[in-house]
Amino acid sequence: MPLSITAKSLSKSYGSIAAVDGIDLSVKQGHIFGFLGPNGAGKSTTIKMLTTLIAPSSGSLHVLGIDAQADPMGIRRRIGVVLQQPSYEPSLSVERSLDVYGMMWDVPKKVRQKRVPELLAEFGLQDLKRRNMDDLSIGQQRRVQVAREFMHDMDLLFLDEPTVGLDPHARRDLLEYLKAKARAGLTILYTTHVLSEAEYICDEIAIINRGKIVALSTPAELKKKFGKQKTMVIHLSYPETRLPRLLLDVAGCRVDLNSGTDVTISSGDPEETLLQILDILHTHDISLEELSVESTSLEDIFLKVVGEPDAPAC
Amino acid sequence: MHQLARLVVRNLTVSLNPGFLVWQVIFPVIYIFVAGFAYTALIDDVQLAGMSVDYPAFLATGMIGFTIMNSTMISGIIIWNDRRNGMFEQILSGPFNRTHYILGNVVTIGIVGLVSGGLILLVGLPVFFESASFDILTFPLLVFCAVTGSLLFGSIASIISTRLKSSEGFNVLLNTVFLFFAFVSTAFYPAEGAPEPLATIFYLNPLTYLVDIIRAGIFGIITDTTLLEMAAILVAALALFGVATRLLTKLDF
Repeated sequence: MPLSITAKSLSKSYGSIAAVDGIDLSVKQGHIFGFLGPNGAGKSTTIKMLTTLIAPSSGSLHVLGIDAQADPMGIRRRIGVVLQQPSYEPSLSVERSLDVYGMMWDVPKKVRQKRVPELLAEFGLQDLKRRNMDDLSIGQQRRVQVAREFMHDMDLLFLDEPTVGLDPHARRDLLEYLKAKARAGLTILYTTHVLSEAEYICDEIAIINRGKIVALSTPAELKKKFGKQKTMVIHLSYPETRLPRLLLDVAGCRVDLNSGTDVTISSGDPEETLLQILDILHTHDISLEELSVESTSLEDIFLKVVGEPDAPAC
Repeated sequence: MHQLARLVVRNLTVSLNPGFLVWQVIFPVIYIFVAGFAYTALIDDVQLAGMSVDYPAFLATGMIGFTIMNSTMISGIIIWNDRRNGMFEQILSGPFNRTHYILGNVVTIGIVGLVSGGLILLVGLPVFFESASFDILTFPLLVFCAVTGSLLFGSIASIISTRLKSSEGFNVLLNTVFLFFAFVSTAFYPAEGAPEPLATIFYLNPLTYLVDIIRAGIFGIITDTTLLEMAAILVAALALFGVATRLLTKLDF
């Protein structure tokens, strides 16, 4: 399968700070590629390099087979970008905003006249079409921002947290729309903090932390790889303040005290950990009301690979 | 359509609203037809290079330069709004580069300056028609003023828009600077007779040069001073455009 993005040892530094530190990326054509990471991990800087808004400090980057350093305009003509921050023309109506954006992309007037009503319908914007962009809610502005990008043809679409501010219904509609576009051959690079979204929509996922790619695979492979990690939730009959100290002796697990009676335990060896914990509870006569073992979610994997310094470890 | 033309159409579409048009046309018309005639009780004739011009004709020609200057405020407003509303980054992530963006603004303010200046010229024509002495140089001089004035004041507005971060700061500074240009110039009253150092300060203001050249073209009083003023305003416009371009080029996302 041809590659839409190939980055090798891609880096971007600001003074002595490496915002992106030698990452390698390969995004297959027609795939939805999830790009995840905590705030400040280097996601937006990477996207700015991939969209040629900023030049890399070092490394090589080819987007749609074009060298980003040699012909950035050649890339920009074939990509669509929905930036993380809102971008809109405050003085224009929703309908006019779509049309003007299409005009900026040199979309012929006849095509624009056809696409504007289609996109208004597709994104549920018909009732808002005469409203000024400035008068819309953040979620409505976001819908227009995403819809607007489909005014022009493209081979690769960058979506930086496109569902921020959307209600669950609009969010699900957008994800379905994007899936259909990907099936039709559009490559999408998708960043989000909603990990269930990434799990639902992405063919491949990369997790970036402190400027480096720390995990890269399909959601299923990531689960398989990190799947040994299980999360157990213990509900005690009554609050037990001794528990954190008692669980310090259990090796290879992490304990989160959700409340006085609920304890979440993550472990790479759940059977052994569970036996030890039950033994401790029995020895100290602590009454257990409920115990459940949860399957690994992408969120668990994310938290594991980017680390959680605040969580108490045992 | 070329990228530059598309950006100009977009700039005109997003910035030309009824409020702006009222500001551009109604405001100078009130000055010409109300203040111009009302002030004749105080100001009789104005001497221009040995020629006597009545005050309404003097003010009407000054309003052409004033309108050209005012129209360039949209350059700063476009850049400011694009930065505030995310369109600067959005445009540059599309099929445009910074050169397109900068030139798009220059052409936009050039068009707005020419059209606004032309409108005020037509509106004010009955007022200064009797004193006017059109010749072959009149039209080229007016076009020179519209283009150079747009470049100069547009660059100043652009510089302000790239340097400030707060909305209030931008509006206050832009309006203060343009208010200074408008009223500390020969657009409304002649420098001759004004107390020092005000009369000298008038000539530190590029709007003074702009309206002097416009009057020279309309009243047919082109002198060596006119040529010097043209050279001075052209150099200032190019220098300020260089600074504005550099600041816009370095503007971070």
